Amino acid sequence: MEIPYEVTPRRDTGLYNAKLGIWLFLASEVMLFGGLFSAYVFLRMGVQDGVDDPWPWGVSVHKNFVWLGAINTIVLIASSVGVVFAWVALKERNWRRYQIYMYFVVACAVAFMCIKSIEYNSKLNHHHGIKLIDNSVMEGAILDKTDRVRFEGEKITFNLQGALPAVLRDIREESFPKFKVIEGPEGVVGNEITSLSSFKGWFADSRRAVFEKLTSERQRYRAELASGVANPKPVSVVSSATLVAEAPFTISGSPRKIVATTEAVVSYKDGVKLEGKRVSDDVIFEVHEVDLQLVIPQKQRDSVVWEVINDDRAKQQFFAAQSKNYQELVEYYKDHGGVVPEEQLRGRYLNVHYVHVAADGHGGEHGKEDKHADVHRSESNPTAGGGGEEEEHGPSKHLIIPRDQIKFMGNHGPRYGTYYALYFTMTALHGLHVIGGALVLLFFTVFGKKLYLKNPEHLANRVEVGGLFWHFVDLVWIFLFPIMYLL
Amino acid sequence: MADATLDLTKTKKTYAVVGIALFVFTGVTVTIGLAPIFDFGPPGPDAGDFVLGLAVASFKASLVALIFMHLNHEKGLIYKLLLFTVVFAFAMMTLTLFADWDPIREQFETYQTTRGWLTEKP
Repeated sequence: MEIPYEVTPRRDTGLYNAKLGIWLFLASEVMLFGGLFSAYVFLRMGVQDGVDDPWPWGVSVHKNFVWLGAINTIVLIASSVGVVFAWVALKERNWRRYQIYMYFVVACAVAFMCIKSIEYNSKLNHHHGIKLIDNSVMEGAILDKTDRVRFEGEKITFNLQGALPAVLRDIREESFPKFKVIEGPEGVVGNEITSLSSFKGWFADSRRAVFEKLTSERQRYRAELASGVANPKPVSVVSSATLVAEAPFTISGSPRKIVATTEAVVSYKDGVKLEGKRVSDDVIFEVHEVDLQLVIPQKQRDSVVWEVINDDRAKQQFFAAQSKNYQELVEYYKDHGGVVPEEQLRGRYLNVHYVHVAADGHGGEHGKEDKHADVHRSESNPTAGGGGEEEEHGPSKHLIIPRDQIKFMGNHGPRYGTYYALYFTMTALHGLHVIGGALVLLFFTVFGKKLYLKNPEHLANRVEVGGLFWHFVDLVWIFLFPIMYLL
Repeated sequence: MADATLDLTKTKKTYAVVGIALFVFTGVTVTIGLAPIFDFGPPGPDAGDFVLGLAVASFKASLVALIFMHLNHEKGLIYKLLLFTVVFAFAMMTLTLFADWDPIREQFETYQTTRGWLTEKP
């Protein structure tokens, strides 16, 4: 029995089933993306200058990758054209041409995701920001993974009731030391652990033993209470363990998992205590841009960032650019109302500028060692808020920043700021839609021949419906690109 | 049958023209976003830039929706469905706007607010 109206439309609505179904689904997708777009609008409108972290300009966040975003737009539009031509080819009963167009659409989807991955890789791995204790911000790159705490551990203390200690992820498996248990529940003292896998097994067994002991002790306590014992012996079970390493081992501690470090102790958020000797926790940084939007103008010349950078030329470069931009704003507002408004005084155009801290002995020379020189060149776009002035290229001096001067540091991932959280949420969700749509269209291409031979109109309808989803994905990107990349 | 073939030929031409228009307007979008001459008002994005950028994006989106998604000759039920969606989406945004409106504070004549900062009324 055939399902009615799979191919021929109903007389009352004039639609076949799948078309009504896909439009219903697209209506729900409009609500999904509409909610996210309106979240963007409200969050952006709600930022208060000088109070909240400033909302970045899309152009300044993406810099050179604005062009990649534009290429992605072209790629998706081309794929949209491809899918309608594929549908027309089916209507004309030209199987070969249909296949070519559909493979083109899938290739465009793959290209889109590749370009997206290049952008994500740049943001997550190659660009970082550091906010210092007075809220001045440096944008650039953290080098050699020095955001991690370098420590030589000798002894670990942890709780046996929780998850595996977080410190294990910071020890490289090939250099896992030999541990001996010196404190812990009965039966484990003296155990030796020689590898990560044996540690996991030992940990699981010990945790089970502690849990069983706790359970039996609690039952004993309740039984004694119930039988009228006045002061039953309290429940007391040793549930932590201390391990000592045969030889000191180095860890590269993730700062997101660590609460505090001293010269001799690293305290993790899950309660693990690692004792030993701190090697270094200074951060090595290559600065490209200084952002003083959150430092009031009267205090900018004395900001902590200039002590950290320790270069008078860079400081002069910043304030010369600020002064030039301020004159431009004064000229503009003289013709349009008289006074530079406060949000402009606190804003990006005046307070974010490119700086070049020359490596010792290379002041102002052009060189090829500054791997971010091409990023700097884009700062000449005035709307990026950083440029107009001549940039100096050449090797950059690597700054060594003590950790106690740092309030926050991170890559340009979702936790860097509200804009970034929204950017990754929306583009990643859109990317998942691209993958899903491409898989469906690929299925129609690879496995559609059987249906084409049986009922070509049915396949044409399916491709039309898949195409409608694909056009919707393109439509979302048409709005995402200017909002996120240009405005 | 000949009419159907003619229709498809006409359809293909329309799709090709719309595709080219979309490429051109992508270039327009990028030019408006990057070229300083199109930065209306003070430097940086402001309301004027948003209106212009989103106007171009809306035009491109309407081309995709009307021509590629066949909405220019779709059945009535689909239009009703989409109208329902638009009304609901608009209502959701408007409801969220109410979060920004504080009737208690606005009733006090002594103070006026400037984006959250309380300042005395002159």
